[in-house]
Amino acid sequence: MKIVVLVKQVPDSGAERNLRAEDNTVDRASANNVINEMDEYAIEEALRLQEAHGGEVTVLTMGPQRATESIRKALSMGPDGAVHVVDDALSGTDALGTSKVLAKALERLNADVIICGAESTDARGQVLPHMLAERLGVAALTGARKLTVDGSQLTIERQTEEGYEVVTAATPAIVSVWDTINEPRYPSFKGIMAAKKKPVETLSIADLGVDAGEVGWAGAQTTVKEHTKRPPRSAGQKVTDSGEGGVALVDYLSSEKFV
Amino acid sequence: MNFAETDEQKELRKAVKALAESYGRDYMRAEAKAGKHADALWREAGRLGFLGVNLPEEFGGGGAGIYELSLVLEELSAAGCPLLMMVVSPAICGTIIARYGTREQQEQWLPSIADGSKIMAFAITEPDAGSNSHQITTTGQADPEGGYILNGRKVFISGVDNADAIMVVGRTSSAEGYLRPALFIVPTDAPGLQWQPIEMELNATERQFMVFLDDVKLPADAIVGGEDANLAQLFAGLNPERIMVAALSIGIGRYALARATSYMKERTVWGTPIGAHQGLAHPLAAAAIEIELARLMMQKAAWLVDSGDDRAAGEAANMAKYAAAEASVKAVDQSVHSLGGNGLTVEYGLGSLINVARVSRIAPVSREMILNFVAQQTLGLPRSY
Ligand SMILES: Cc1cc2nc3c(=O)[nH]c(=O)nc-3n(C[C@H](O)[C@H](O)[C@H](O)COP(=O)(O)OP(=O)(O)OC[C@H]3O[C@@H](n4cnc5c(N)ncnc54)[C@H](O)[C@@H]3O)c2cc1C
Repeated sequence: MKIVVLVKQVPDSGAERNLRAEDNTVDRASANNVINEMDEYAIEEALRLQEAHGGEVTVLTMGPQRATESIRKALSMGPDGAVHVVDDALSGTDALGTSKVLAKALERLNADVIICGAESTDARGQVLPHMLAERLGVAALTGARKLTVDGSQLTIERQTEEGYEVVTAATPAIVSVWDTINEPRYPSFKGIMAAKKKPVETLSIADLGVDAGEVGWAGAQTTVKEHTKRPPRSAGQKVTDSGEGGVALVDYLSSEKFV
Repeated sequence: MNFAETDEQKELRKAVKALAESYGRDYMRAEAKAGKHADALWREAGRLGFLGVNLPEEFGGGGAGIYELSLVLEELSAAGCPLLMMVVSPAICGTIIARYGTREQQEQWLPSIADGSKIMAFAITEPDAGSNSHQITTTGQADPEGGYILNGRKVFISGVDNADAIMVVGRTSSAEGYLRPALFIVPTDAPGLQWQPIEMELNATERQFMVFLDDVKLPADAIVGGEDANLAQLFAGLNPERIMVAALSIGIGRYALARATSYMKERTVWGTPIGAHQGLAHPLAAAAIEIELARLMMQKAAWLVDSGDDRAAGEAANMAKYAAAEASVKAVDQSVHSLGGNGLTVEYGLGSLINVARVSRIAPVSREMILNFVAQQTLGLPRSY
């Protein structure tokens, strides 16, 4: 089974993140860049599939040069190799453009299963898996909290607000996962040492037959016009407890429909 | 000169930190309280190859060095999970067996020390030979039937109850004169071996024991590196020991500083967070400087060990252990103080570190013995004893 995992480098969601004033894009230079958290679950799921069914796991990343750190980190968990699409022309690419580039790269990789996180912690669009499925003409099994494979049949439990739905599809397909699906492993020392020896193929957009005009700022169908910081939290409401504190709390909670 | 860690070392730091934080101080405290040994963390760290990073790849280790092993223990301790037996099992026993053991001993012990599935304790201290190890009397007599019969008493030996074997430092010849140590591997199920816990005022997942060796029969291949091993062979394990104790102390110091810092940012007594008061901020900053200085010395010592310069490593490892113990005791003390009353509550978990931090002032060599060593060896001053 050939498995491809999509891995994106994002600014650490645990630290302060900013958009740049000049072009409204994420300020990656001053951020602590890490693997998108949900992608670690995708990597884990891919490795589990490989352990159960054999085959090969390849990491696919589109991102600047600096994203190699995240690729190495991903490889230290166990995948066999990686493909890194890196090109100056990609700066400013929106989700549609990204899906175009990744789809081209995926066409070369011939995956039976493509696994990715359900969303990235920076953009949180949740659109990429669907766009890729559309471009590649494969099934989209999105929002999985469980994945099982039986021959060429994939079954997921799609996590919903109320519970879950069981969805099946035949390979090739793309599966996006939530953090409920597994517990990602820590890289072992051997994994860390092996990561630097694993093959990482770098591809430009020319290699993929994508025109510079289709991506980057020029190709973007969407633009961020402006941004403002979320206003700081207001002071809130203090309940002084002079015997009636509990009642006041419940009143507040029910007025906000929390209880 | 290069102070930058490699990408692999940085990744190892991150991976160990992530693992340790998933357990954390509360887990360690609960384990200690229940008289347990943090086995789950130990086993997981072993499975990930963290406990054996220094041991040869050929025998299941990571093929790296004491630098990497000390980094592992520093990060574990900085997350509130000081695994003391790392000082003993992979660092002392693992190093000695890897360097001086026979092929059979290496095959028997190194893979399981490396993956943490077996633990080897280390016993040198005796009731009448603490700081003065030349007075060790534990002796292995040649057994007419072959092998040795070992007799002696050891004290303060860590982790015996959870160990598969003990590396016992004794001698084969008479008990007089300068120590020419013989190192015996004694399985913990050997007849004639007994132990008794010493009640310690320490919140830890390892206990210390009195160990009694009464006519313990050992095969000839229980000895590591020959009958009259020279001191260098022992020190091959003791330099890593000092470096690892430094790593543990530095980790504990970092843990305390981090707890104090986050508390001092939040706690307000007079309108500004207490961290803004220089009376608290400056001592904490000074403690942070001393921790960092000790850390540099530890890294230098580890680097010297890994470069094969045992002589230079001896001085550096002693200095690092001294500096780290002092810095750690101060950092913990100042951190406890910074939390006011909360510094001594169980909830904030700092008070119990006061005693834990002080261990490394006493063991494996006391502060005074290191000062003696530096006075004599480095400065060339005469000795009083
Ligand atoms: C928590 C803990 C774990 C331990 N684990 C182990 C273990 O796993 N294996 C093991 O073998 N041992 C272990 N030890 C023992 C430890 O190594 C000894 O306690 C240490 O070497 C000191 O020996 P001592 O206790 O006999 O002190 P002593 O030698 O009696 O020293 C008492 C005091 O006198 C001072 N002193 C002695 N000689 C001089 C001098 N010439 N000049 C100035 N001052 C001097 C010392 O610095 C010390 O302050 C452990 C100890 C502790 C506390």
